[in-house]
Amino acid sequence: MNLDLRAINQCVRCGSCRTFCPVFEESGWESANTRGRIMILKALTCGLQPDSQVLDSLNTCTTCGICTENCPAGVNPPEMIESARRQLVSLGKMTRQQADLSRNILASGNTFAESSDRLSWLTDRSLLTKKADYVYFVGCMNSYRYTETAANTFALLHRFGATILPKELCCGSPLLRTGFDARRFVDENCRQIAETGARTVITGCAGCYTTLKKSYPQDFRVQSVPEFLALHISQLDIAQLDLTVTYHDPCHLGRHNQIYEQPRRVIEAICRLKEMKTSGKAARCCGGGGGVRAGYKDLSLQMARKRLEDVPDGVDYIVASCPLCIRNLRDAGAGEKVIDLVDLVAMAVR
Amino acid sequence: MTRLTEIVMMNILQELKEIVGDRVSASPGEMCCYAGDASQVVGLPDFVVRPESTGQVSRILRLCSEHLIPAVARGAGTGLAGGCSPVRGGIVLDMSGMNRILEIDIENQQAIVEPGVIAEKLNSALKPYGFFFPPDPGSLAMCTIGGMISYNSSGMRSVKYGTVRNYVLDLEVVLADGRVIHTGKKVLKSSAGYDLTRLFVGSEGTLGIITRAGLKIAPMPRTRKLVLACFDEAENAGRTVIRIFSSGITPSACEILDRTTLQVLKLCDPMPAIPEDGDVILFEVDGTESSTSEAVRQISEICQPTAKSVRIADGPEMDGIWAARRLVGAAISRLDPMKTRIYMGEDVGVPIKEIPALIKKVQQIAAKLDIPAMKYGHIGDGNLHVALFIDVMNKEQWEKLLLAADKIHRAAMELGGTVSSEHGIGLARAEYLPEQVGTEAFSVMQSIKKALDPKGILNPGKMGL
Repeated sequence: MNLDLRAINQCVRCGSCRTFCPVFEESGWESANTRGRIMILKALTCGLQPDSQVLDSLNTCTTCGICTENCPAGVNPPEMIESARRQLVSLGKMTRQQADLSRNILASGNTFAESSDRLSWLTDRSLLTKKADYVYFVGCMNSYRYTETAANTFALLHRFGATILPKELCCGSPLLRTGFDARRFVDENCRQIAETGARTVITGCAGCYTTLKKSYPQDFRVQSVPEFLALHISQLDIAQLDLTVTYHDPCHLGRHNQIYEQPRRVIEAICRLKEMKTSGKAARCCGGGGGVRAGYKDLSLQMARKRLEDVPDGVDYIVASCPLCIRNLRDAGAGEKVIDLVDLVAMAVR
Repeated sequence: MTRLTEIVMMNILQELKEIVGDRVSASPGEMCCYAGDASQVVGLPDFVVRPESTGQVSRILRLCSEHLIPAVARGAGTGLAGGCSPVRGGIVLDMSGMNRILEIDIENQQAIVEPGVIAEKLNSALKPYGFFFPPDPGSLAMCTIGGMISYNSSGMRSVKYGTVRNYVLDLEVVLADGRVIHTGKKVLKSSAGYDLTRLFVGSEGTLGIITRAGLKIAPMPRTRKLVLACFDEAENAGRTVIRIFSSGITPSACEILDRTTLQVLKLCDPMPAIPEDGDVILFEVDGTESSTSEAVRQISEICQPTAKSVRIADGPEMDGIWAARRLVGAAISRLDPMKTRIYMGEDVGVPIKEIPALIKKVQQIAAKLDIPAMKYGHIGDGNLHVALFIDVMNKEQWEKLLLAADKIHRAAMELGGTVSSEHGIGLARAEYLPEQVGTEAFSVMQSIKKALDPKGILNPGKMGL
């Protein structure tokens, strides 16, 4: 395999990542922490065969980036892992779950292999305009699973002139994270965005955000919903709510894109914020990202349960701004106590 | 011992499964992950097991003894000498799963732990009681107590508090044939027979496998303060350190950071507040408010005539400086992404008064071979960490590195010092041990090894044994 040996050699195997890797905490095997994965990458360049254990090692990385944040040598493991996944997939080396995921997305255009209307949640289609300043990129999760959040988001963004792509496709994140090509989706979404004339695309999904920002041509500005709301909160008629909430930093908003302060500003405009035991750059991953929820559900939920242990006492809601995190934390036992930032704003808008 | 045949391998695997259930692996990928530590010493194991009890370790060693299988204990794999590298194959026992703090006994000033407890987690557990486990290696956040004991590790505060050896009161050890012994009692001192506890501390898994440790703990000091003194030359800094110690002051830490180290620290995020440009000595003092203030005053006075600048730090600034200092060893590639820090010749130690001479020799060696060297470390106890960094894809630089490391080791021995102050011998420094301790002393070590591990199954090849 033709992996980046320079990047691999940058790791001095000090083991700092052992302390932080959420997967390793659950597994205990060296192959489930960043240092072990990098040793496997090096071995792959020397002839190690990518058997199922090797695939499990590389595919259980949530790409949460907490190792990057704490690596004294400045190594960026998620980048290396994703690159290795791409090469393995190109060689036909993948797990059954990876193959199923990609087949379903490529066939249906969405993560859930849904054939139903992506905009079924939108009651008034006349609100969609062909031309607009902003595009609200809904994402698969909110289109099919959290439709109320999609509706609440659009209700807010529409006030500022946002529209929705008529035939939005999956942003491509699940494909890109697990080693597949997503060019078809990127091209089609870009074409539709260009047709609207919008210069800014806003999304409420951390996975979509990082994909639109880093894997799409830079023809438009990408904003997350927390960024947009933080800028426009004063223009909304907000009531103070007698609530105390905590905020879960999605890895792909926080560590991958340094969006820490904006969601907190929005929350503090509405109610009291009580931080989690680990937050900001040090926030523990929910366990759902990097294809781990799709490929290793039990492991993913174990990590989510560990994340819930960080929730402080006396909070009414756990707020997040990523439907993938929300699903994982809900499924891990927190249920309806986990809400989207937009849903909190919707409660407060008069 | 020869590598295992396939049939024997399958039988061994089955027996290991019976002992530890699914906590055994023989998959090639997993074996690669357990090939070594942060040193350049590597070797593939045949199996990795993650035992959960002394009983399991005992059964595994009985199996190893019966089939002459090498058994290599491993903590977090953060070592720097190849101590846990299974260079002759066999079974790696990953002890990090035995990670319970069994007892915190404040009245007796002791903690009883399993070997896989992470040092920092022990300190977190002791903090509410106002106590701590003083040895503090740079890898405090990830290294295990078992690993620390096996390498008699120490760290920045050993200048005042000593090394791990000073804090181990009792060990539960599984011997090569599976017998389990205790080396001490739950007492702060004992004068009963050979000091087996001290024998096992620093024995690098060559005499037995530690499964439990009784540790002495210490009350946390009320306050800590830091003096940062910056010098034009590292040698000057070394001479000032000698003057401080000669005046009767014992800092709780005394670290040197040369100008290259400071450059690296400035590239770390978050950048700690060391704007100085030169070779810096960090003097930390601890104790009561008045005793630390007086010590800080005295240290500052002694430094003033020779230092470019002297200033005092405490609180969050001091904490930030220490946090960065702990990680600086691995951070060198921030200075030049094309280069990687290689842990060789990195842990030499000399009598304190020879520190200026050692620094000078290291500078000469690095300059002559044209190989960059970052110097930092526990100058207060004569321990200098030399960080050599090279482009690992360049063969010529590798050759220079090996030569530089050898010369650094020999320089330390010529100055009456040691090739390792706190990282251990492993395989990386095994060739120097007979020369450092002398052939007769080394033959005594060989006799001890033979007595406790007659079949030579415990971490074979390490320490030259």
